[in-house]
Amino acid sequence: MTSLALDPPTGPHPLERAVRRSERRRRLVALLLMAPSVLFAVAVFAVPIGLFLFRAIENDGIPQRLPRTTAAVQAWDGGDLPSAAAFDALADEILALKGTPELAQLGRRLNYVVPGYRSLMMGTARRLDAAQVATLDAEATRARLIEADERWADPAFWMPLKQQSGPLTTFYLETALDFERTPSGELVSVPAERAIFIDLFVRTFQTGLATTVLCLLIGFPVAAVMARASGSLANLMLALVLIPFWTSLLVRTTAWVILLQNEGLVNKTLLFLGLVDQPLQLVFNRFGVYVAMVHVLLPYMILPLYSVMKGVSADHLRAASSLGAKPFMAFRTVYLPLVMPGVAAGSALVFVLAIGFYVTPALVGGASDQMIGYFIAYFTNTSVNWGLASALGAILLGLIALIYLVLGWAIGLDRLKVR
Amino acid sequence: MRAAPWTVALALAGVLVGAPSLSAQTISVVNNGGSVADAQREAFFKPFTAETGVEIVEDTFAQELAKIRSQVETGSLVWDVASVTAINDATGCEEGLFEEIDWSEYLDPADFEGVGGFGKCGVPNNFVSGGLVYDGDVYAEDGAPRSWADFWDVETFPGKRGLLYRAEQTLEVALMADGVEAAQVMEVLATPEGRDRAFAKLEELLPHIIWWKAGAESMQLILSGEVVMTYGWNGRVATANQSNDRNLKVAFEAGHVSGSQYFTVMKGTPNKEAAIDFIVFASSPAPQADYAARISYAPANEKAYPLMSEEALATLPSGHLDKASYQSGDLYLDFWLDNGDQLLQRFVTMAAQ
Repeated sequence: MTSLALDPPTGPHPLERAVRRSERRRRLVALLLMAPSVLFAVAVFAVPIGLFLFRAIENDGIPQRLPRTTAAVQAWDGGDLPSAAAFDALADEILALKGTPELAQLGRRLNYVVPGYRSLMMGTARRLDAAQVATLDAEATRARLIEADERWADPAFWMPLKQQSGPLTTFYLETALDFERTPSGELVSVPAERAIFIDLFVRTFQTGLATTVLCLLIGFPVAAVMARASGSLANLMLALVLIPFWTSLLVRTTAWVILLQNEGLVNKTLLFLGLVDQPLQLVFNRFGVYVAMVHVLLPYMILPLYSVMKGVSADHLRAASSLGAKPFMAFRTVYLPLVMPGVAAGSALVFVLAIGFYVTPALVGGASDQMIGYFIAYFTNTSVNWGLASALGAILLGLIALIYLVLGWAIGLDRLKVR
Repeated sequence: MRAAPWTVALALAGVLVGAPSLSAQTISVVNNGGSVADAQREAFFKPFTAETGVEIVEDTFAQELAKIRSQVETGSLVWDVASVTAINDATGCEEGLFEEIDWSEYLDPADFEGVGGFGKCGVPNNFVSGGLVYDGDVYAEDGAPRSWADFWDVETFPGKRGLLYRAEQTLEVALMADGVEAAQVMEVLATPEGRDRAFAKLEELLPHIIWWKAGAESMQLILSGEVVMTYGWNGRVATANQSNDRNLKVAFEAGHVSGSQYFTVMKGTPNKEAAIDFIVFASSPAPQADYAARISYAPANEKAYPLMSEEALATLPSGHLDKASYQSGDLYLDFWLDNGDQLLQRFVTMAAQ
């Protein structure tokens, strides 16, 4: 049979090879053309975010600045007090840092774990004299440190030096989930009066979800009418949707405070019409937050919905009804599946944006409406506790990714794709 | 007529080479913006430029220490002089973000004793007082709130209260409402019992509190009648009265939380000398008096008081300095630097109940 074959069985036809080669060259050119934008995205997006997320687990400053102390404290069982050698190493290392910015940075870093550590470090350095400490043996140094500040006799101040001596730490992630370590190293929940972050995460997701649902309920009919409207009417409606979109976020939010406050237009009107006897509390609570957030985020729901609905021909619905489908049946089985990509895109956009909101809840919400973004900004800018800020950010990012995956698993990832 | 290419090139070269030598030295000053920036521009920046020829570039920030830290740590300074809170002055000074300067070489320390003296690295440039603010048209003089206990008394003075959504200042106010003398507030707060006491007092008033975060909000709340009294900063009150023709008053006798903003020199600036010259100028009596009159915050330099008009003096807490809980000194700084974050967490949990 081989005699019938035109080609030898080994190796492809030269033509095929030529085609493949030119294919490869084309692919290479395409890759090269894409390279700048890919590299750009990696350099300005992936790398900085990755580096910032890494701060959530990086143990910055303790082992680097107190290498001998953290080594000496490892032998300690966490019971009574560390060995005199640890005290000796600590006194030397504090004195070496005395008068440098590094001592204050170390104090601030340890203060995240035990409040008061900052003044303990600064005060101890102030009271210790290098020449005097040099003459003392280890036992006497221990006594001298405790004399300088009696908190050195408290194991709680030694524990962070033992627990956080490696290059990585889980401390920030634990804090971001309302956990702390006991002096013996067990992980326990923080006292209720300081348990703040879990509540904030739950509240942030609740608010995000409610805002998304409200935006969908309001945005869907608007987009559907817009998609069906004649040219000039559709343009007018589009303009009405876009005008608030182009107004500053702060202006829109503050406007709601003025409208909804006790002496505001809404309450004045209701009182004038005799619908209420007392002004309603419409702002500085969750209601105000929803109103302002839905107003701000509505265009993000309407625009993707509109673009998808615009592409759905009315013929599909007519065909459904000619085949005997009642309006609701036609809507559910024909229209809804066709516009589902718009619903998914709009909802994903609104939800993710809503999760990151904090200026609006800060202005129109009460104390029980604040969201996690406010605290990420606080720890980044004001308190400069970047480890905790990244831990909170990493958890938020992880939760959003988790929701996306669960949704994808439940209804199929390709349905969530923005087309 | 078309210009010959070489003329264009020459003109360009002239611009590139000539520009720096033509312009004078420039320093960049950053402050809180808003009315503070307006007043500093008129009282400090313009007269300083007129006197020395050194141009001033302005910038604003919301006291984010992170912005100063990133500039100093990366060695790319945008600012030369920063106007910062006492807490930021202390933190930045300890952590090497500001130049340590012996200001007594340039200024008389006695002039600044009244506001707590020089900062760790900076010079105080004003004296901001947070106090009990009410509307003088709502409460007549004889029926007006006179103490923080009155602020807590919702029976006699029905209506909502505005308070600052921050542990610092608000805990101090709560202790004053609980009967602690202003001068003892920090000592009491430094004890665990004192903290519990302050939180318990805040919880008492919780259903009647509307929290505000920015100074402008506090004025909006009281001007609109949303709250009948609020904690507020005296400069904001004076500005609100002027621009809205209203009669808001501060009951300084109830006790107030007062502190300064400090002018500091950014670490490693190449313009250190000009920066020092600027701070010395802005701390001298005449610009201080001018600034205080514009912003209605008290001057930091005592020698400025005789230069001020009776009218401008009336909005300042000068007669009630014994009723101040000071936002300066080691006790205050150590307490808030050690416990600030933890107390904020406790405060947020308490307020969200």
